[in-house]
Amino acid sequence: MAEFSWEARSPLERALVSEPYGVQGEAGVALTEIRNFDLVQVMARRGKASEMATAAKGHFGVAAPETPKAVRTADATLIWSGPDQFFVLSKGGRQSVKSLVPIFAASASLSDQSHARVLISISGDKARALLAKLSSIDLYPAAFPVGAVAATSMDHTSVTLWRGNDAPGGRAVFNVLVFATFAESLWQTMLDSGAEYGIEIGHSEELA
Amino acid sequence: MTSSQSNRLDTGGLIDRSQPLNFRFDGKTFSGFQGDTLASALVANGVKLVGRSFKYHRPRGILTAGSEEPNALVELRTGARREPNTKATTAELYEGLDAASQNRWPSLAFDVMSVNQLFAPIFVAGFYYKTFMWPAKFWEAIYEPAIRRAAGLGRAAGVADPDHYDKAWAHCDVLIAGSGPSGLAAAVAAGRTGARVILCEEDFALGGRLLSDGGTIDGMPAADWLSRTQAELAAMPDVRIMTRTTLFGVYDGGTYGAVERINDHLPSPPEHQVRQRLWRIVAKRCVVAAGALERPIVFAGNDTPGVMMASAMRTYIARYAAAPARRVALFTNNEDGWRTVGAALGAGLQVAAVIDARAEISAEHRSLASKGGFPVLHGSVSGIDGGKNGVRKISVSLTGGARAEVEADGLAVSGGWNPAVGLTSYHRGRPKWRDDIAAFVPDGAPPGMVAAGAANGAFGLGACLREGFAAGAAAARDAGHGSGSGATPVADDEAFSLAPLWHVAGKGKAFVDQQHDVTASDIELAQREGFESVEHLKRYTTLGMATDQGKTSNVAGLAIMAAVNGKSIPETGTTIYRPPYVPVAIGAFAGHHRDENFHATRLTPSHHWAAEQGAIFVDTGLWKRAQWYPRTGEKDWLESVTREVKAVRGGVGFCDVSTLGKIDVHGADAGAFLDRVYINTFSNLAVGKARYGLMLREDGIVYDDGTTSRLAEDHYFLTTTTAKAGLVMQHLEFCRQVLFPELDVQLTSVSDQWAQFSIAGPRTRDLLKEIVDPSEDLSNEGFPFMGAREVALRGGIRARLFRISFSGEMAFEISVPARYGEAMARNLMIAGKPFGVTPYGTEALGVMRIEKGHVAGPELSGTTTAADLGLGKMMSTKKDFIGRVMAGREALVAADRQVVVGIKPIDKARRLRSGAHIIPKGETPGPDNDQGYVTSVCFSPTSDQWIGLALVERGRERIGEIVHAHDPLRGEDYDVEICNPVFYDPDGGRQRG
Amino acid sequence: MRITCPFCGERELGEFTYLGDAKPVRPAPGASQDEVYDYVYLRDNVAGAMEENWYHGGGCRAWLRVTRNTLTHEISSVEPAAGAGARQVVK
Ligand SMILES: [Zn+2]
Repeated sequence: MAEFSWEARSPLERALVSEPYGVQGEAGVALTEIRNFDLVQVMARRGKASEMATAAKGHFGVAAPETPKAVRTADATLIWSGPDQFFVLSKGGRQSVKSLVPIFAASASLSDQSHARVLISISGDKARALLAKLSSIDLYPAAFPVGAVAATSMDHTSVTLWRGNDAPGGRAVFNVLVFATFAESLWQTMLDSGAEYGIEIGHSEELA
Repeated sequence: MTSSQSNRLDTGGLIDRSQPLNFRFDGKTFSGFQGDTLASALVANGVKLVGRSFKYHRPRGILTAGSEEPNALVELRTGARREPNTKATTAELYEGLDAASQNRWPSLAFDVMSVNQLFAPIFVAGFYYKTFMWPAKFWEAIYEPAIRRAAGLGRAAGVADPDHYDKAWAHCDVLIAGSGPSGLAAAVAAGRTGARVILCEEDFALGGRLLSDGGTIDGMPAADWLSRTQAELAAMPDVRIMTRTTLFGVYDGGTYGAVERINDHLPSPPEHQVRQRLWRIVAKRCVVAAGALERPIVFAGNDTPGVMMASAMRTYIARYAAAPARRVALFTNNEDGWRTVGAALGAGLQVAAVIDARAEISAEHRSLASKGGFPVLHGSVSGIDGGKNGVRKISVSLTGGARAEVEADGLAVSGGWNPAVGLTSYHRGRPKWRDDIAAFVPDGAPPGMVAAGAANGAFGLGACLREGFAAGAAAARDAGHGSGSGATPVADDEAFSLAPLWHVAGKGKAFVDQQHDVTASDIELAQREGFESVEHLKRYTTLGMATDQGKTSNVAGLAIMAAVNGKSIPETGTTIYRPPYVPVAIGAFAGHHRDENFHATRLTPSHHWAAEQGAIFVDTGLWKRAQWYPRTGEKDWLESVTREVKAVRGGVGFCDVSTLGKIDVHGADAGAFLDRVYINTFSNLAVGKARYGLMLREDGIVYDDGTTSRLAEDHYFLTTTTAKAGLVMQHLEFCRQVLFPELDVQLTSVSDQWAQFSIAGPRTRDLLKEIVDPSEDLSNEGFPFMGAREVALRGGIRARLFRISFSGEMAFEISVPARYGEAMARNLMIAGKPFGVTPYGTEALGVMRIEKGHVAGPELSGTTTAADLGLGKMMSTKKDFIGRVMAGREALVAADRQVVVGIKPIDKARRLRSGAHIIPKGETPGPDNDQGYVTSVCFSPTSDQWIGLALVERGRERIGEIVHAHDPLRGEDYDVEICNPVFYDPDGGRQRG
Repeated sequence: MRITCPFCGERELGEFTYLGDAKPVRPAPGASQDEVYDYVYLRDNVAGAMEENWYHGGGCRAWLRVTRNTLTHEISSVEPAAGAGARQVVK
């Protein structure tokens, strides 16, 4: 019998090269792929939005967002993804679809999206300038504060965009969940768009 | 250095004399200074002739100092960066700039095509319509190439643009177009409230007319006020000043288009930088402070080099310290033109005369004339004696009929000012006429927009500041900000008096539209020929249709039209204004979307593995799919595809089918929901089973198909075709939210969650046994045809396994979470090694589906019914579903419909082609006996000949009949036999076995 | 053009897909062919305020009922489709 290994590969594994890109010198933008996460879509059953909310509160200790917001729990981020639905984003294995099914059994339908998306975190002085080339959303600090979410499109591709907690030094951090099969294409567009600012590239397993 | 700049003034101007720049024009080297435009540098070097005109190849000079320029258009740069129709008046000078004049051959001074002038009578209004009517075939072969060579507005580079462009969004409370006194006052007023402000200025410097005309504001020289104001704005964090940026359009909902020429002022953009950026600006309010454009007076010879707008002449003198002439005359009908006299005298130039069309001039100007020692002639310019080397003598018709001549080498002309009403009129707004300034001013504006200052017809400096400040403050308030601090900047208002004068009758060509060579007599001719509406006039004469969009010519043109029609100007009206305000490069609209980034691409989970295998990829929508996997020694695609098909039919192969749309359908009513969207029933599908489903549009035509499996009581896994994945999701959401909102259904796209592979061929089960955990029963009993369930794989992960077949072979589809997709491909190669496993691409997939008679995209063409596809029996009669009623319409159930059949060529060696028409044998092909067409073809390795599917009238009744395939596109005619579409294993034993 | 999605806020046109007239109501099962024909094909050619179906496919995937003036593009109201989200709908 042959031996089989099941190595999970990020869709960006080849495109992502951890070295400076574009203009040399201090990078204006940092692009970091966040790997190894669980992502579960939770959608309320018809007429069960309040039951879903109660179940979420009971399990996570905080209310799930009912408007475009992202809220942090002890080990997950709950991200609004549409009316009466949200994502549960956690470090791989923390809040898997398997563990969440019983919680929402009577109130919501769950769909595993852990492999369906790629998570890219964008920060740096020029993060907003880069995102202005990709996104029609107004990311002005007061218009898009920490925790703001937009279900929107970049480069004709649906994405979920939200502002994470600021990095040390107060720099804004933006997170983008993009469909996995589009990820390399969007990544290339990000590199293209950010080259003039200089880009620092890396990957991590730490969610911002 | 200056010595070579013969017309450079010794002092003054906003140029940096410490930074000389060398440049070339028509191969000759000149020098200028940082701060020059190409036009001002040419003026400083005494160059008067800068181009030939479009139609008559008349010598032309520089008319203006801005983006309204009709004449001084050049080819800027060389090689791949050569850009035709660049306005010398806005092109910033840089070291090494290389420009060439246009519309001349072989040289600017000696232009062969200027013989066109001799044929001038044939180039009259409507010339194109009258001359190139027929014969039609002459158009492509003779007329068009000849016109392009003779007339063309410069030459395109002819090779790909090496530069990059991009696009970006910006958001603000108050957007301001223009940084003259009104725009700056608006920015200060809005900025002081804390509003987010974006100010766009076309020029590289802020200030607008202040840079040329100066003045006193708040008791200080305008230049000081300008630097104070710039400093104040720079200190406001939410005020963004964008120079070299033209606001070119306004769109619905407060969205504006602007183009920023980031690096046009450099020879080439620095590495990693873009040349231009297209901005989409979303603004709550917009203040248009775009100023006004001085307008010419039309008279014979008004296009002679050396004739220049009065305001442009003082811009060259005051801003650029460049003298357009040594001995200047002024022709004006208004007070403002006189400022040029002041500027010329101030710069030490001679003033030959002022020709003023008004009956009276002010005492101030009379004393200026006597001090300056030049005559004031009451009358009009009626002709110019001059040519390519400039103006020599000016003929004047004096009021009362006498004539006079003035010797001068330059003539400044002022016919008054037209507010820039473009932006305010872009939503089909029609400006209104104001008699006191004899000009059109905005009459309302798109929602959220207001005009201020000269753009609104307020021509005095004090008025511009007041209007701008008030508009900026009001805009900020309307956008939700409080009131700001500080007072309105104060300045005096200059006197304004104007006697309207549009056209001076005289001998010789008098140009209205200099870029398109439209004369006053063309307009008169058009009127005589019945083109009385301005919209007709415009198209018949091409007035205002050149790249300058008639900025200097439209109002004069319709004034002349009004006069010949015996109507007033407001009665005559304006044409519709449309964006863009200035030409915008297509590259800027495309941004990054060019070459490999033309559109977003989607890669399958096994893409990089397939690339390693040397797969040839094909674009399928946004996807890149492996089309076939060539092997060394194979001479063409057909050989590779044939090998792949034979390997599957004789052993086992696999193909990445992750591109199929995949949708999780959850909810208590999921089954009932699917019953309504599919023609067949899904509510009775057992858990653990899959079923083929067909969807119709509401009009009864087939929409999409796919296999849907029931994974749990309240969970179905639906698949769509690759092409329709997004549209089916949208359709299902429409059904869920709009048509059937009472149902408990949730839909989620899981297309990207799963890597899905089709494994097909008689050795499929052998391969699967290697990779699937031994505890899983894969036997025909344990996993029957159309079974669907989760299984464990060796090595620890779980997969979904579906026993479905598109190829007609014993086959499964297997799904693993997408990040395991590449590992899956590698592991299938390992597991299948003993059985000669072969990866296959979309071509082999297509061949096998045609052999099996499965319909796909070419048959689901948006014209076929379920019955046409041979799937009519699937239509349930026990339930309602989308398309049910309309599918029963007479025409959709008619007996003579074209239905799917198989075809085989009678000559077994013949290749079939899709698109060939089916005609009864022995008949001459024509529309009356066209009975269908060939939809899909392939070389069938199994049949060892080409086979195809076709839509043929009454096809199922005609199995065995020989018909004619007529392919006029490729010039082929041959006979084919109609046959059963299932060429391979018609009883289906192989896929069930 | 910009549309204010009741769930997402104001968004640019590119995120939306237009379907058309939102007035026709799908006939109940058992309706005659004529009624269904009208539903599928018969449309008013409105010059003025018109109710339309728009899909926020580039955003929250909600179907919206948008009242738009076909002459000016002015949007006077945007309502979610009856079944957007998980609202209970009795039919
Ligand atoms: Zn939305």
